[in-house]
Amino acid sequence: MKKLTYYFFLALVPTMSCKEKYLPALNLPATSFLVVEGYINSGSGATNITLSRTIKLTDTTTILYETKATVRVEGKNNTSAIQLTEGTPGRYTIAQLTLNPNDQYRLRIKTSNGKEYVSDFSAVRSTPTIDSISWVRENAGVQIYANTHDPLAKTRYYQYVYDETWEFHSKYSQSLKLTYGPNGQIKAVGYKDSSTFNYDSTVFKCWKTANITAIAIATSEQLSLDVISLKKIQFIENGSWKLSQLYSMSVKQRALSKDAYRFLEQLKKNTEQIGSIFDAQPSENNGNIKCVSNPNEIAIGFVEVTEEKEKRLWISKSSLPNWVWNTGCDIEIKVPNHPDSLMVFMPPSSYQLTNVAETNPSGTVITYVFGAASTCVDCRLLGVNKKPAFWP
Amino acid sequence: MKMTSFIRLNTQLFYLVFFVCIALNASAQKDTSASLITGEFKKMSIEKFLLQLEEQTAYRFYYNTLDFDSSVVDIIVIQQPIHQVLKLALANTGLVFAEDHAHQFFICKTIAVKTALAANLFDDALLKQTATKVALDTAETFNKEQIATLENKLYVIGNKPKGTLAPGRVTIAGYLRDAKTGEPIIGASIIVETTKAGVISDQYGYYSLNLSRGRTAISIQSLGIRDTRRQLMVYGEGLMNIDLQAQVVALRNVVVSSEKPSPIRGMMMGVQKLDIKAIKQVPVVFGEVDVLRVVMTMPGVKSIGEASTGLNVRGGASDQNLILFNDATVFNPSHFFGMFSAFNPEVVKDVQLYKSMIPAKYGGRLSSVLEINSREGNKKEITGAAGIGLLTSRINVEGPINKDKTSFIFGARTTYANWLLKLLPNEYKNSQAGFYDFNLNISHEINKKNHLYFTGYLSKDRFNLNNDTTYSYGNQNVSVKWKHVFNNKWYAIVAGGFDKYHYDISSTKNPVNAYKMQFDINQTYFKAHANYYASAKQTIDFGFSTIYYKLHPGKYSPNADASLVTPKEVQAEQALESALYIGDKFAFTPDFSVEGAVRYALYSFLGPSTVNNYAAGVPKTENNMLGTTVYGSGDRIQNYGGPELRISARYVLGDNFSVKAGYNIQRQFIHVLSNTAAIAPTDIWKLSDVNIKPQVGDQLSLGLYHNFKNNTIETSVEVYYKNIKDYLDYKSGANLVLNHHIETDVVSTKGKAYGVELLLKKSTGKFNGWLSYTFSRTLLQMNDSTQGNLINKGALYPANYDKPHDATFVGNYRVSHRFSLALNMTYSTGRPITLPIGSFYYAGAERTLYSDRNMYRIPDYFRADIAMNIDGNHKVNQKFHNSFSIGVYNLTGRKNAYSVYYVSENGKVNGYKLSIFGTAIPYINYNVRF
Repeated sequence: MKKLTYYFFLALVPTMSCKEKYLPALNLPATSFLVVEGYINSGSGATNITLSRTIKLTDTTTILYETKATVRVEGKNNTSAIQLTEGTPGRYTIAQLTLNPNDQYRLRIKTSNGKEYVSDFSAVRSTPTIDSISWVRENAGVQIYANTHDPLAKTRYYQYVYDETWEFHSKYSQSLKLTYGPNGQIKAVGYKDSSTFNYDSTVFKCWKTANITAIAIATSEQLSLDVISLKKIQFIENGSWKLSQLYSMSVKQRALSKDAYRFLEQLKKNTEQIGSIFDAQPSENNGNIKCVSNPNEIAIGFVEVTEEKEKRLWISKSSLPNWVWNTGCDIEIKVPNHPDSLMVFMPPSSYQLTNVAETNPSGTVITYVFGAASTCVDCRLLGVNKKPAFWP
Repeated sequence: MKMTSFIRLNTQLFYLVFFVCIALNASAQKDTSASLITGEFKKMSIEKFLLQLEEQTAYRFYYNTLDFDSSVVDIIVIQQPIHQVLKLALANTGLVFAEDHAHQFFICKTIAVKTALAANLFDDALLKQTATKVALDTAETFNKEQIATLENKLYVIGNKPKGTLAPGRVTIAGYLRDAKTGEPIIGASIIVETTKAGVISDQYGYYSLNLSRGRTAISIQSLGIRDTRRQLMVYGEGLMNIDLQAQVVALRNVVVSSEKPSPIRGMMMGVQKLDIKAIKQVPVVFGEVDVLRVVMTMPGVKSIGEASTGLNVRGGASDQNLILFNDATVFNPSHFFGMFSAFNPEVVKDVQLYKSMIPAKYGGRLSSVLEINSREGNKKEITGAAGIGLLTSRINVEGPINKDKTSFIFGARTTYANWLLKLLPNEYKNSQAGFYDFNLNISHEINKKNHLYFTGYLSKDRFNLNNDTTYSYGNQNVSVKWKHVFNNKWYAIVAGGFDKYHYDISSTKNPVNAYKMQFDINQTYFKAHANYYASAKQTIDFGFSTIYYKLHPGKYSPNADASLVTPKEVQAEQALESALYIGDKFAFTPDFSVEGAVRYALYSFLGPSTVNNYAAGVPKTENNMLGTTVYGSGDRIQNYGGPELRISARYVLGDNFSVKAGYNIQRQFIHVLSNTAAIAPTDIWKLSDVNIKPQVGDQLSLGLYHNFKNNTIETSVEVYYKNIKDYLDYKSGANLVLNHHIETDVVSTKGKAYGVELLLKKSTGKFNGWLSYTFSRTLLQMNDSTQGNLINKGALYPANYDKPHDATFVGNYRVSHRFSLALNMTYSTGRPITLPIGSFYYAGAERTLYSDRNMYRIPDYFRADIAMNIDGNHKVNQKFHNSFSIGVYNLTGRKNAYSVYYVSENGKVNGYKLSIFGTAIPYINYNVRF
């Protein structure tokens, strides 16, 4: 209901309703509550806990890390706690934990100001593997789904964390470059590779990785079997450059407790599914971290024991016939090979040379060159040209 | 005394004179012949002169103003007999006069009226017959029905006694009807001119009036009809129906009356009444005439915004209003996401909102009762109307089934709002939204004493967005009512019916998850009401009502063969709500009257049910659940109830000023569970049970009423203070759908509401309208830690609909009879919202931090609308009557906030303001009557 009406009313924007940016002047209190994010990894791999502080809405800092805290994982039966070490500031980690599946564990945090926080004890939970990450080309784009099941029907609540990486190519290859005089003035046009005259592949092929910021959770609590079928995790709209060459998505699935699911569900309602006429009012949603030193102090976050199972999806352009994407690079300009013309028509701040347009009849002198906006030529401006390790 | 038509006088002359003669003996006691006239009548019209004479003397004059041309009277007389004075005055005007034995003067052009009768007109036998009839009891004379249509005719009620008329009081009764269509006139005041005692016609147009025997005049006033009076000669009890002229055809100037008594003299306080004509003048969005939107312009009525037709009356929640459409309870009065109300304006006659003194016959809701009365069909001929607007088309047909006995009215409305959705981006182009509603009312007069009424209502809304999930909801109502009049003092009404509201949500896109979710609430009711006019000073009414509820809180089931959805059903709830009441209206003096009523409400939550038990003194949570108790079918699991007092008093000071005070208690046994600010079609109702207590509210109110300028301007000030107990609010993160233990997700709060309402209203004249201002607060509190976490640390917090200041102006200027302009302006404080107090980084994005509820407000609201209503010509006998309304909603194009919110987008928090109507919206509507 909520989601749909949300779209409906947003969609009416061009006709009558209107949504505009609005920042009321609010006199807000300083909060600075501890925020704990991460999970105690019962599977193979590191346990990473991030500590930060709530900030003012108007603050420009993205994330205010809480450093120099002591973070321990402790068991209910086994009191010998395992301490995590602070790697980069605010990130606390341990490479591998060995947990007793019959015990319960929690996090104990002592901050540098001497306050102590604990999470609720959590049973050790394992996560079923992902059955598949599937996708369907629809009218408006490509919908990606996650599918899984737990034959023991013990999981029921799932979270998906995923990132996407895609290969993309510059619209125009580049074989030319400018050379500059001693005072930084344009001197001449030259080949980047004067031996082969080939284009420069290092600025032609790049990769881009993006973390998806939306909370994705699913539950089978309404179903007779513990099955997650066609859980929507990402929609790529027609015209997106993500699917221009090769696209990959890594999906990590975590089993959740019901309470953790409710926490994330409310967090999603409070922060993502808001703004339609039938939305629930946002409400307080703090999680399972308690401040031991001061029970009235608020702490945010939900930490429990779980593990991640990963699956990777690949979509190549060959499986998407007629995928048209818009690069914004339709214009390649042709300029006489003269420093003054180049300066005027292809200012180096936003334009780059691409290839030879015309030469003299003998082919020895370049008379005209092509050029285009820098982002259409040098892919490093939009991504990185280092191929990721997992890329084929 | 002006005669509207002299031709009519001629045809009625015989009767007129006949009655005059009969009246002679009675009025002859007063000796008029001796009156001598003294006065200075300088340069005044003949009519004015005659009116002055009437004031000075007991003489009455009958005339047609058309005869007078522009003649003037210019005389001074000292101690002259009437004949002499008239002779002087009418000299050279071509007018002649004649006097009858009752000292009534007939002024005509050229030829004098003969006032004597043929000698053999009455024979002795007839007189004897009349004499014997006097002795007969009321019941028999009652059958002698007459219809009073004319102002100047003397209507005789009861039979003339043989000797002199015995003093004493009798009761007359009857129906007020529209002379043209035969529909009842509801809520008209009938006032005895000499004593100022009066009554109000009920929802059937029925009145019962206690008055002294003898000659008298009554004046009748109501919205939508021309103010008028009837002259009566009352000998005994009797029935008199009164046919009234609708004001709309009044091309002649309306005579400004000396009495406009309703707000001053009426007992009711905190009552707002609007007739459909006034409603139709008010500009509304897309020109969709909307009953509830206009109700919102009245003082003390608010809504949370443009996408909600939920009314918040005097600080009450939107589920605290009993919305009655001809006795049928409408649970969801909205269409199309709450933008329009579910009532077809072509069928509605008027609406009446009780926000303070709720009559004892009503109960079960804390804040208000909104009566929406539909019209009765035209009893004389088949007529209809059709309208075309931007979003809906409507048609209604009405007419007699059996002439003068049975009539029907049928209305239908449908939308073609899909065009709105077509403007959406591709992704939503398969979306659909639509609604329709049907009304059918039948009224049947079995005989003079028995009337039968049938009402049927059906509405349905359906929308789906891109074929993914389909939502639909609807109301279904049927009611039958029987009114029986025992005699002029007693009548009774028996009614029964069935009301249903349901919604379902379904999705079939992914066969594995394909589901259908259904909710419905049903009530079957029976009520009986009796009314006894004990005397002019006292009216007693009493009755009982009972409602059986059957509620299916949620059923979730697979909707495809491959679906893995486990059927889940929250157990059905049933309950019986009954009430017994008695009320007494008593006038100690004409100026001081008191109305008191006691209503005893009794509610039983019935089995079969499995009730969750919780440990005492700790919050109701799943962890504190101690198990369940199973009750069988018909078990009375939990009883609630108690007396409800409804008291009010009125004291009139002078002609134009009165003070009223009232106190009332209300109980509400059913609740809407919602954590959205607006009424959502998917909100669920919940019956009070072992774990959820009924809401109780009481209200103390005081009102001052003052009329100015010959009662053409009404002003009032009303103040109130309300306590609310056990109003449900939700816990943070509440899950209200398909919840087997809903009590773990809600908390009981205490509330208080108070306010002042000012109203300035001019309901007549070329320029009419009202200006209202309300100051009000509604504060809730949850400071009981045994219920769980305190809300806002146990402090008082404003309710979602707490809007302290609210001012509205509704004005209509009639440029001509065919063209009028309407302007509507409204301002209110922004509603409270919960805004973040900070932000933090979690799950890959910056996210907002929430704490206390409703601590901020959205920006203030202001809107101005304008409309032009253009009627076609007013010729009565044409096949079609056309009218247009053209207007602009939100003239200033102000982007009024519906909500302000912060959302995480691409990892960053952005703040937005959402306006439902962010620009000026022009509209045109075409209506045709046939």
